[in-house]
Amino acid sequence: MAGRLPACVIDVGTGYSKLGYAGNKEPQFIIPSAIAIKESAGVGDTSKRRVTKGIEDLDFFIGDEAFDATGYSIKYPVRHGLVEDWDLMERFLEQCVFKYLRAEPEDHYFLLTEPPLNTPENREYTAEIMFETFNVPGLYIAVQAVLALAASWASRSAEERTLTGIVVDSGDGVTHVIPVAEGYVIGSCIKHIPIAGRNITSFIQSLLREREVGIPPEQSLETAKAIKEKHCYICPDIAKEFAKYDAEPNKWIRNYTGLNTVTKQPFNVDVGYERFLGPEIFFHPEFSNPDFTIPLSEIVDNVIQNCPIDVRRPLYNNIVLSGGSTMFKDFGRRLQRDIKRSVDTRLRISENLSEGRIKPKPIDVSVITHHMQRYAVWFGGSMLASTPEFYQVCHTKAAYEEYGPSICRHNPVFGTMT
Amino acid sequence: MPAYHSEIEEFHSKVGNMAILPLRTKVRGPAPSVNTDNDIIDESLYYFKANVFFRTYEVKSEVDRVLIYITLYITECLKKLVRCTSKDQGQQDLYALAISSFALPGDAGFPLNSVYTKPDNPDLMREYLLQLRQETGYRLLEKVFDTSDDKPNKWWICFARRKFMEKSLSGPV
Repeated sequence: MAGRLPACVIDVGTGYSKLGYAGNKEPQFIIPSAIAIKESAGVGDTSKRRVTKGIEDLDFFIGDEAFDATGYSIKYPVRHGLVEDWDLMERFLEQCVFKYLRAEPEDHYFLLTEPPLNTPENREYTAEIMFETFNVPGLYIAVQAVLALAASWASRSAEERTLTGIVVDSGDGVTHVIPVAEGYVIGSCIKHIPIAGRNITSFIQSLLREREVGIPPEQSLETAKAIKEKHCYICPDIAKEFAKYDAEPNKWIRNYTGLNTVTKQPFNVDVGYERFLGPEIFFHPEFSNPDFTIPLSEIVDNVIQNCPIDVRRPLYNNIVLSGGSTMFKDFGRRLQRDIKRSVDTRLRISENLSEGRIKPKPIDVSVITHHMQRYAVWFGGSMLASTPEFYQVCHTKAAYEEYGPSICRHNPVFGTMT
Repeated sequence: MPAYHSEIEEFHSKVGNMAILPLRTKVRGPAPSVNTDNDIIDESLYYFKANVFFRTYEVKSEVDRVLIYITLYITECLKKLVRCTSKDQGQQDLYALAISSFALPGDAGFPLNSVYTKPDNPDLMREYLLQLRQETGYRLLEKVFDTSDDKPNKWWICFARRKFMEKSLSGPV
């Protein structure tokens, strides 16, 4: 693509937004998807309260700056992956482009992401903002799960690159299990699991509260979060793990030192069982959530069993992890083992039922872990947007002006490397 | 992977639908005293920390009912030990707890009447449970006060507020 500036890739998630230029390995910015605006406290609908004079509508902050700004109210334009407030979203993107990426939107193609089961209307709104407000030359709206699949190609050889697979995407708020067949999301089979990063943090928090003294209450959440990110891992068997800790506490129990923000005194926390119990709630949700008891491995298995029969084997063969909460050590290995177990049991039952006449071919279960997991969606976008094919499938400004926003309702699948 | 079950399968007699298992104990009671490395109390203590997190438990055998009872009793002991400042005090409190009046399966105050049946011989049941309670208390005490500073070990005490199967032997308090 001689003479063309790289495309901008923007992945706005519920918790964090990832911004950067196509072709890079990592996003340039990872900022909270928060926006701080001035809003009068009066009653009435939001549009009335936000009426401003002069250039006050430029007076807002996004990302980390939003939390530091005093006298502003903090809003999250994205809820559960879907854009809730388009007015704020437009302003959010404005600073993403001008203040963070420092790009001239007229010069760059844009790749934005959307959650699975996004509505076509939302794509139209996105197109309106991008083409009318920012005057971009081209836009492509990609499904996050498909990008996550593409990101896993980095660790595989060229002939193994498929767009069929099941994406286990676990961020802060919610975990999705999304089957994708040849680039198309099988929407009827998607499952959402109310166990994700935030639940692990609060579970660790409750374990610490029951045991440790000396953590300032107002810092307990961030302490738990830091411990989760630094010390947690997945163990194969919790009873054995407890025994290991009790036999050799010095080897397994870690120490965390925090700084009390008020007194500036350091405080010490022993980090013990929560190292493996925290992420264990993926596999034993009943530990933390009384209403939800199905382990993640079982959900993945059920989702695949609900899919059309001809894609089930390829799906088992390509279980791709994405999102920060899948970064725990041995997460993939444990998931693979547990799924393999239930698959093998099922095959054995069918063999027994047929009294040995049917010998099913064993199913390969493989869970793909790779280095790009944390920003898998963004990285997949960066990869695809740097191919020449990307520019062929993009909706262009000319087409938008000819046909209107409805062209963005559909975004063709590409990148299968045919 | 569901909760952990007892690996003991063999038992010779039962009371109600609980197995009477041999114990490594000096406490007298209906359970025969044997010298094994791993009896049901050892198993319960070993699985306690893992099992106490489970809200559901599938009872697979008469032995599992003993395991459940001991697990719930350990929680009761820990609740006592939280307030203890020395091993001697802990010993006294646990002994008092063991011999205090307690509900038998089938009584109104027993938390798990759906899984336990009322025994035909309540006296035998009472003696058996008493024996379990005393021996469990002794062994737990050694584990909880395993350090030299005569303070309860926080790696045990922290489980005092967990409720196995969301039940408690002392009822809702």
